[in-house]
Amino acid sequence: MPDIEPLRQQVQAKIRKLELLSSSGLWILAMFTAVSIGASRDFDFLPNFSDDIHKMLGSAPPTNFINWALVLYGFSAIIMVLTQMTGSKRPRGAFAHFGYLSAFYAFYHFSGDLAENLWAIFTVGMTILSLQGYHVWNYYKDKVREEQEILAELNKLLED
Amino acid sequence: MFNNLIARAIVPITIAVTGFVVFGCLLLYTFIKSDMTDEAVLHVDNLAETVSKSARYAMMQDDRESLRNIVGNVGTLAEVGQIRIYDQGGTVRFSGQPDETEPGSAEAVVDPWASQMMQPDYPERTKTHHNIGGDSGLIAVSIPILNEAKCSTAACHFHSADEPVLGFLTLGISSEPLEKTLDLLRSRMIIFCVMVLFLSIGGVAALLRMNLFLPILRLTYWVKQAVEGANAKDLPKVDHKLGSLERDFRQLVQQRDNALQGWQTTGSSQSDTGNGSALDSRIGTDDAGHRTATATGPGQNP
Repeated sequence: MPDIEPLRQQVQAKIRKLELLSSSGLWILAMFTAVSIGASRDFDFLPNFSDDIHKMLGSAPPTNFINWALVLYGFSAIIMVLTQMTGSKRPRGAFAHFGYLSAFYAFYHFSGDLAENLWAIFTVGMTILSLQGYHVWNYYKDKVREEQEILAELNKLLED
Repeated sequence: MFNNLIARAIVPITIAVTGFVVFGCLLLYTFIKSDMTDEAVLHVDNLAETVSKSARYAMMQDDRESLRNIVGNVGTLAEVGQIRIYDQGGTVRFSGQPDETEPGSAEAVVDPWASQMMQPDYPERTKTHHNIGGDSGLIAVSIPILNEAKCSTAACHFHSADEPVLGFLTLGISSEPLEKTLDLLRSRMIIFCVMVLFLSIGGVAALLRMNLFLPILRLTYWVKQAVEGANAKDLPKVDHKLGSLERDFRQLVQQRDNALQGWQTTGSSQSDTGNGSALDSRIGTDDAGHRTATATGPGQNP
């Protein structure tokens, strides 16, 4: 009978990796909360851009446009995450969502209406990232369960 | 808890619906607040423009008594919190509150937002400025009183033709009614939000429970009963909520019962002929049921 100990160790290492991945959604949520706290202070801890950079960036888009973009993005992102969940697909795009939401904070900051719209971005961000986190958690926990079953079979073989 | 089928179905719906409804309400509130503030600014602009137009003739004639009356009467309007006419230097000349311009009274304090534009070197001195949500609780506008050709040539006046601004009119209406309306809107929105959440989540949960979870729980109970030895005839009637699953399961149990019955019959006849030991050796085999089920014939195995 071939030595199954290396295979067993491989499965154990995979379980550890999957368990680590299953909590990645929480890390993104924590990062988003940190950015939101910064946004609530209007990013006063960051240095101000010089006039040259402001000129290079140009004027901020109108707040109304950003609002509609946020509605469109929020709706599409929720549908996208729900579709991933329904299809049991590998969760992807958590960092992209974090990036988009941070960009919305930046746009509102430059347009001068961050205080008015802070809670709207925070709510939609928490919704999208919580859904994503829940999907990540479920997906990788299922994978862990599969690997644990394989490990149990291997253990049984070792005992025999 | 999250491995439970019910939790897996309800949690994403709850997060998505709750989040999007709250987000929608927050954004809707921001839109409405912005629209109502714009409306209030337009109203105060119109009011200031009306005062400016009606005071123009009195200014041209240097009729200070009429000007004082116009400003004083507009100042008595309930919605007007402040009305003032400043000269070029930022001194209050006429006010809706007469004590601010009475001789000997302390000079009225110029609002910080307005004092900035009264500086002679301020580049946007000739433009209209607004102040919304300041500490004064007013939605205010400041419009410059511009020099006109008629004005610089009038005998009563001493302004030179190159002075673009002769003074400023500031008018502020109280933002309290707007804030009250927004508070009312906010509380109604919260109530509406809670109702939508309860109805949508409660409705989805009830529908899922009625059409999916209860039939699955019932089927789980049947399976347990069947495993513990219940016959097909002891199982409740099917209600087709899970498609053909319940019917197929019942048929499986029926087949098992028939196989068991057939096997028992075969076993007893063989034991009668002295082959009991051979039958006993087949009892533990996995395909015993299959063999006996085949032995029962196609009529028993649809």
